[in-house]
Amino acid sequence: MIVCTNIYKEYRRGSYCKRVLNDVNLVVEPGDRIALLGRNGAGKSTLIKLIGGVEVPTSGKIRREMSVSWPLGFAGGFHGSLTGYDNARFIARIYRRDYSEMKGFIEDFSELGRQLRMPVKTYSSGMRARLAFALSLAIEFECYLIDEVIMVGDQSFNRKCHYELLEKRKDRTMILASHSTPLVQELCNKAVLIHDGQATNYEDVNAAVEQYSLL
Amino acid sequence: MNEVILRKFTVGWITQVRVIQALMIRELNTRFGRENIGFLWIMGEPLLFAGLVAIIWHFLHGETEHGIGITAFIVTGYIPITMFRHGVNRSVLAFSINSSILYHRQVKVLDFIIVRFLIEVVGGMMAFVFSAAVLMVFHEFPVPDDIGLFIMGWMIYAFFSFSLCLIIAPLSEMSDVLEKFVPVTTYVMIPFSGLFTLASWLTPEMRDYLLWSPFVTGMEMMRKGIWGEQITAYYYPWYTIGCSVVLTMIGLILCRRVRRTLTVE
Repeated sequence: MIVCTNIYKEYRRGSYCKRVLNDVNLVVEPGDRIALLGRNGAGKSTLIKLIGGVEVPTSGKIRREMSVSWPLGFAGGFHGSLTGYDNARFIARIYRRDYSEMKGFIEDFSELGRQLRMPVKTYSSGMRARLAFALSLAIEFECYLIDEVIMVGDQSFNRKCHYELLEKRKDRTMILASHSTPLVQELCNKAVLIHDGQATNYEDVNAAVEQYSLL
Repeated sequence: MNEVILRKFTVGWITQVRVIQALMIRELNTRFGRENIGFLWIMGEPLLFAGLVAIIWHFLHGETEHGIGITAFIVTGYIPITMFRHGVNRSVLAFSINSSILYHRQVKVLDFIIVRFLIEVVGGMMAFVFSAAVLMVFHEFPVPDDIGLFIMGWMIYAFFSFSLCLIIAPLSEMSDVLEKFVPVTTYVMIPFSGLFTLASWLTPEMRDYLLWSPFVTGMEMMRKGIWGEQITAYYYPWYTIGCSVVLTMIGLILCRRVRRTLTVE
């Protein structure tokens, strides 16, 4: 279970202060697939980063009672000048996984081949998404935080993700920030609509999508 | 209740040790690479610095000063100051530079400073051992009189430098101006580090001023440990340790505050 209580997040630059999240409350039960909806800049990615512990809320508390992945997107989590293999090795070390086992899975899943020996900064965003997904699936989290990445892969990769994440790991929890309403309707059982710093929880995804398209 | 806290602490400790190891390897990889001598470059910089300056001094000032071999004297002074300067320079904006790694929750900002500083400490120590060994062959370096005192001095010097890094790193995230002042400040620090003179070579009045600098204690202990009876040294370890503890506390508080406002792309 993940519980966010009274989350506020402000970004400050000199005297200018922008409040992105204003008293957000969210409870994620095991097995939930939550869609985060909202316009660009509404705070979807910010909320995902806070849940993932990448950034720290200005005030409020986040309690995590399951293993939560790092936010899967094309930025972050990698060191650009290291190769794909070196990044995998680093991640295996900090998550205490066996690298040789992980390596096979990553080669197999990402299909990046020789490119894994190249620095990650030479990768396209689709390739980064492949690597990020491969690593996070190799580690096996209880909850996956996904920030739009599904959309950057090509069709065959999307099919693969679909199978690995949504069929093989049906029981896992997922928080997905997305603009794609058909995808959200297909995958998710709950939705959160973020607008003007406020988050509204919806048990019915269709109602949330309808509200979202009115914004 | 106490057991729960203890278990949490143990788990956290094990995680942090593992993260530091992984970050260390990553940092060595990105900084030195695997080409030519690879990770051995860790001691390359301090060695080159101390070696070249010592050679210049050897020719400018003659072979001895106050009865002490000048080459060895300069080497013992320059390697610690290089550790300090590089450590401080590398802790400037260390959080933002490494921010993409913060995606992994078990990595803490403190780990970045520890890793970067540890590399300087290990590099400096290796450079020390290597240059001493080489100089001893040419009878330019004495056999250390009290290696324990030397190591204590080195550790105190490193602790004080580290406590400064703990403050510089978060401050550099808070203000852009600081970044511009760091190189010149660390340069101006050189005369106050006890690098060029022993405290006993100075007039009593000057000595009293110089001993206010926490670096001098570490420096004097290292030199006393090497030359022993040949020199008179002045050192107040508890003074330097006290300063370091206070600065570490301030640094830790600043790190915690800055982490809250850190923006990760």
